[in-house]
Amino acid sequence: MSQMSDRTGVIHDLGYRGYAGQRESTAALVRHLFLTGLRHAYGLGRSGRSKVLPFLLLGFSVLPAVIVVGVVTFIDADSLPLSYAAYTSQLQMLTSLFAAAQAPVLFSRDLRHRSIVLYLARPLSAALFALTRWASLAVAILAFALLPILVLYVGGLLAGLDVSEQTPDFLKAVVLQVLLASLLATITGVLASVALRRGFAVVASIVVLIVAVGVVLIVQGVADFEGIAHVGEVAGLFSPWTIHNGLAESWDAGSAIGDLDGAWPAVYVVTALGLVAAGLALLAARFTKVGAR
Amino acid sequence: MSAVTGETMPVGAVPVVQTSRLTKSFGAVHALADLDITVGEGVTGLVGANGAGKSTLIKILLGLLEPTSGAARVLGHDIATEGDRIRQLVGYMPEHDCLPPDVSASDFVVHMGRMSGLPATVARERAADVLRHVGLDEERYRQMGGYSTGMKQRAKLAQALVHDPRLVFLDEPTNGLDPAARVDMLQLVQRIGRDFGIAVLVTSHLLGELERVSDHVIVLDGGRLLRSSATADFLGHTGGLLVEVLGGDAARDQLGEALAQAGLHCRPRGPLVAIDPPPEALAAPGVAHDIVRDTTADLGLALVRIEPDQAHLEDVFLTGGHA
Repeated sequence: MSQMSDRTGVIHDLGYRGYAGQRESTAALVRHLFLTGLRHAYGLGRSGRSKVLPFLLLGFSVLPAVIVVGVVTFIDADSLPLSYAAYTSQLQMLTSLFAAAQAPVLFSRDLRHRSIVLYLARPLSAALFALTRWASLAVAILAFALLPILVLYVGGLLAGLDVSEQTPDFLKAVVLQVLLASLLATITGVLASVALRRGFAVVASIVVLIVAVGVVLIVQGVADFEGIAHVGEVAGLFSPWTIHNGLAESWDAGSAIGDLDGAWPAVYVVTALGLVAAGLALLAARFTKVGAR
Repeated sequence: MSAVTGETMPVGAVPVVQTSRLTKSFGAVHALADLDITVGEGVTGLVGANGAGKSTLIKILLGLLEPTSGAARVLGHDIATEGDRIRQLVGYMPEHDCLPPDVSASDFVVHMGRMSGLPATVARERAADVLRHVGLDEERYRQMGGYSTGMKQRAKLAQALVHDPRLVFLDEPTNGLDPAARVDMLQLVQRIGRDFGIAVLVTSHLLGELERVSDHVIVLDGGRLLRSSATADFLGHTGGLLVEVLGGDAARDQLGEALAQAGLHCRPRGPLVAIDPPPEALAAPGVAHDIVRDTTADLGLALVRIEPDQAHLEDVFLTGGHA
């Protein structure tokens, strides 16, 4: 040990070597950034502490699915007690928490520590960088929501449920989840890129995702009870969760609350896509601006 | 502006950086005004007070900021249309902190190499190489949040070099360093330019630092070009003399007054008497020396030394550009 501290830190100069080989394409850069972001969203490649929360939440969201599969196997049921989309909806608290907690990893860190400047001094443009970051978060959220229903689906089939009955329901739920994950990634991503401090970003995201859905449900409940037309449908547009649940119901993918008819499903889809597009434009503008400072 | 030096640059080669009438305004503030500069190979110092437009110029050359008007080419590529190509060939070490605290320098430099288009294995090899060159040893495996300023500057420099750029922009690399680390960093900058064969554009608001490492100096003042020439031209002899006598400030002032009476303009500089270039009547070689010798002898003072006064970069600001 004393020998270690005796070292004087001499740098042996072996000479500088250049690199004349091939450089990768933009697509390869995007892929690398995407995968790194995806890993970072789950704390992989970061400190041990940062793995705790995402995997704890993931464990909590898969556990009920495992129990459901166990029960279905045990009582030899011929259908799942709840649909795939309903399962996603039931776990909205966990999924919202995951999105709120992990969005700052992808959207606050670069801006707050200003490593964004180092990224923007490299070949990828600010817009492509923001888009790739968003894709990492959206896929991380999708994986978070998808894993439990995949457990349900595979476990259900192994327990002897009918493939032709389960598969369409499952695929519908996956499509809805893609839309849901895009919405959650957009909302939490924009908030995290503006808030910069992790605590603020998490609190703001939770307010928007969890508190808003409560308000929407109250409004929908009142409108339904009083029999007022369209108020419930309009209110549903104000939370990604009620958008998901409303579409799930109208698509017969099964969810507990809210029913959409007429042109409302189209309005929901257009609103969701419009929100995602606007959010992406905001993110790109934000990254460009911060990079120039 | 054809005064490009740097012995390594062949005549007629494409300049590393060339700007023409480059202007950047932030509202009413002109950060850069009609700037025409040419940067060659080797180490070029970009000097100016804080707010002179050094960082703005670098950001425009990288394509992070759009110029208000004017054009520039970096390594022969137009900044307006070939930004991504330029950013592939250029490394950038920003002035401010820009390192994520929860990643190790080793992982971060590999990642940055990949973001510049290096294949995975090459990125790992080069990151290890470059971290060794900048002098980060075992600490490269620790999270950067715990680094000292000196280690952070080294990590920042490593990420600017990892992709073997043709040119690096180093913005205030000695900022926040203690004197010993400052010397190390300046030696490193010099090695990058001379041994690594990478052109360097290095900024500092400390002129004395750049005197020592750069082949060429560009001086900006208020977004305008004050002067651009080889470092040696800045440091030429002024024609003045520095004289030191024993006896402290009292003897110094006594000598100064006597020399003034003999017709030489002089003022105190620290413990020395600095004599301005002598007037024409006394300008013949050796005349001023003789006056100093005789005056000292008459006063009975002990003469320690007479030496030619050397110019410093600071003088450029005092004389308004043309020394």
